[in-house]
Amino acid sequence: MVNFLLKRFLQAAFVLLAITLIVAFAIRLTGDPALMLTQGAGSVTEADLAQIREGLGLNKPFLVQYSDFLIGIFSLDFGRSFLGGTPVSQLIGTALPATLMLALAVMVVSIVVSIPLGIKAAVARGKWPDQLIRILSLLGLSFPNFWLALMLVLLFSITLQWLPPSGMDGFSSFLMPAVTMGIILTATNVRLVRTSMLETLQSQYIMVARAKGLSERSVLYKHALRNCAIPLITYFGLQFGGLLGGIVVIERVFNWPGLGTLAFDAVGARDYPVLQAVITVLSMMIVAVNLLVDIAYGLVDPRIRTE
Amino acid sequence: MTQKRLGTALKAVALTSSLAVSTFSFASTLTVSSPQDPGSWDPIDTFLVNWASVATNIYDGLTYRGPDLMLEPGLAIAWEELDNGKRIRFRLREEVVFHNGEPFNADSVKFTFDRLMGEEGRKGPQRSNYAAIERVEIIDDYTVDFHLNAADPVLLTKLAGYGAMIVPPQYIAEKGEEYFNAHPVGTGPFKLVSYQPKVGVKLEGFARHWGGAPKLSNLNYRFISEPSTAVAELQAGRVDMVIPPTIPIGMIPTIEGDQTLEIATSVSPTVYALRFNTRSGITADERVRKAMIYGVDRQAIIDSILGGQAAPIASFQSELSFGNDPEMKPLPYDPNKAQQLLKQAGVAPGSKIQIDIRGDNATFNEVAQAVASYLQLIGLNAIIKPYETNVLLNDIIPAGKTGAMFQQAWGGWTLDYDNTAYFMYHSGEKWNPYDSDAELDQMLESQRGLTDRSQREQILKSIANYTADRALELPLYNVNAIYGISKRVKNFTPVPDSRLRLSDVTVD
Repeated sequence: MVNFLLKRFLQAAFVLLAITLIVAFAIRLTGDPALMLTQGAGSVTEADLAQIREGLGLNKPFLVQYSDFLIGIFSLDFGRSFLGGTPVSQLIGTALPATLMLALAVMVVSIVVSIPLGIKAAVARGKWPDQLIRILSLLGLSFPNFWLALMLVLLFSITLQWLPPSGMDGFSSFLMPAVTMGIILTATNVRLVRTSMLETLQSQYIMVARAKGLSERSVLYKHALRNCAIPLITYFGLQFGGLLGGIVVIERVFNWPGLGTLAFDAVGARDYPVLQAVITVLSMMIVAVNLLVDIAYGLVDPRIRTE
Repeated sequence: MTQKRLGTALKAVALTSSLAVSTFSFASTLTVSSPQDPGSWDPIDTFLVNWASVATNIYDGLTYRGPDLMLEPGLAIAWEELDNGKRIRFRLREEVVFHNGEPFNADSVKFTFDRLMGEEGRKGPQRSNYAAIERVEIIDDYTVDFHLNAADPVLLTKLAGYGAMIVPPQYIAEKGEEYFNAHPVGTGPFKLVSYQPKVGVKLEGFARHWGGAPKLSNLNYRFISEPSTAVAELQAGRVDMVIPPTIPIGMIPTIEGDQTLEIATSVSPTVYALRFNTRSGITADERVRKAMIYGVDRQAIIDSILGGQAAPIASFQSELSFGNDPEMKPLPYDPNKAQQLLKQAGVAPGSKIQIDIRGDNATFNEVAQAVASYLQLIGLNAIIKPYETNVLLNDIIPAGKTGAMFQQAWGGWTLDYDNTAYFMYHSGEKWNPYDSDAELDQMLESQRGLTDRSQREQILKSIANYTADRALELPLYNVNAIYGISKRVKNFTPVPDSRLRLSDVTVD
């Protein structure tokens, strides 16, 4: 077991190292931040630019800049934003919770909706509720989410004036972004729950439960759902990681002060430290989720452990 | 007796509290949507116009320039130019305090400019704009002399904004440079309450401002970069004003269609042109360049694509610009003449030319499409190549790697043609990768040291004429600055240069 864990940890560390290296390298191909910072200034001499580069630490060799960045990660010091000099850790410190909370809200919406619908579809397999749910989920999958976001804003913020159109500002501000993102996840999850449920419903213990005369509700939610929960939880966990990456567009439409907005602005401003940090933090979380899933599998299934 | 006294006392308390309530009910808040968080409120750290649309309320300069673009006294009540413009003496306003209570005096002025021209200023982009200032000398508590290494005719204007905003020496010494970035203190009509990076900034009226307390009690800015989101907030009534550059032309009808909202516009400094590669290819020939100008119906583009929110230009400056020659007229639309010129120049029909544009501007994209179709009509095969804005501005144009034409949008807040012409046309400048013209260089240099305004204006006008004669660019138009505002907002004058000062604005 120790061996297994060690191997997985080393793998995760390697992945992170590779990601940070690629990110730090690639971002420096996008152009010179000093030019960017002086874009609106009239006459700028090479000497002025050199001075600014020195101030930003860009005159050091790439490997030195990269190792500074790596060492910084361990003390949660990601340097300073090129735009204004705010410590990056402070920017991440406010953006990360915003993104996590939104992602969590999306997960909640999708799970709360997809489980009952998926079960319903499985039970009514082949009948009209099943067909309807499957068509709806196909629709949900094929909606471009920014379009959906704009339509929701038009209806709920402008016409009805029930919900704030943007910003993170209390419970009501979570509804539209969470639903927009949630619809796509729900569409996938409904199908997943349905398939998983169909399999479980054919097992003998379900027949036994029914034979015992348990209510249908109890059979479905107590016996069947619990048994198909393990693969679902794994899947939802992985989905959470993926969600963090996919949230950028929605954050921008809803002006959500999260990591996506931060990264988007940083790309535009060639703000290397911010972009590096956002990508590193996101990949750390995705790697961590994967690691946890791996470990959980190992714990459950001895075959994986000894592999 | 005691009881009676108590009663009176109670009544008095009740009275004062009701008075407090009633003054409080006058309190009004204006919420503004601004497209960008500059990241730092330190005047020397930025050139972003959206820094100025907030910070003009926080700081004062020695001079002040409002929506009418006239230079007025700010923290200096009077000034005189001495030694042929090499020295300017400023008489400072007395009894002015910073938001932290620190007094404003000659020390603050000297500190501000020592800082701008010194180590701290070197790290930022503002310093080069004030390179004419050699040093500031304190004559007495309320008199300073600016010693210049060369006369700078635009300096007094530049003292009204950006890097020249007066900052508090004691506060910065105590709190440090880093703290100052996020907790700015100035002498302006509004003081900072809180700043949340990427989210917004909240200001409140500063009652001790030398110009009197502002009418608004609170002024909030929210950073919203997505135009449709900003307009949705405006329509939902959660934002009272959306400032430029946010609202694209295409969204104007949405705002005009809403009974609670209106559009306010002002002429802006921003002008658009398609500049030519004058060094190589078919556009090296002046006749070809002229042909392309004749061949494009700019007025039609303004009317159809820009909804009339722009004006044609004859040279690369707006009508507000110092150096604009109202006598100059844009070349007319004349496709026959264009074809004739192309024939003279020996350009084969169907010749290919490439137009480089910024890919992020949907409106300009349409304009470029229209230009390409007009060029098609005179027998040129134009291809549009969109770039990511920063790549085009920082890597393609300065390196001279553009196609035959490239988009340039320009507009200095100083509204002085020198600020455009020198950078666009002087040999070796970053924005002039192709052309080198000794005569033009000489004209550009000659006006720089002049303090005689009319003489300088004359030279600037002849520069404008000269560049038009040589057809160095296809001048397109000067766009309006577009504000979307709620009708509850009163007393607001749209400013051309995004330097919003909102002290007289009220909200119903």
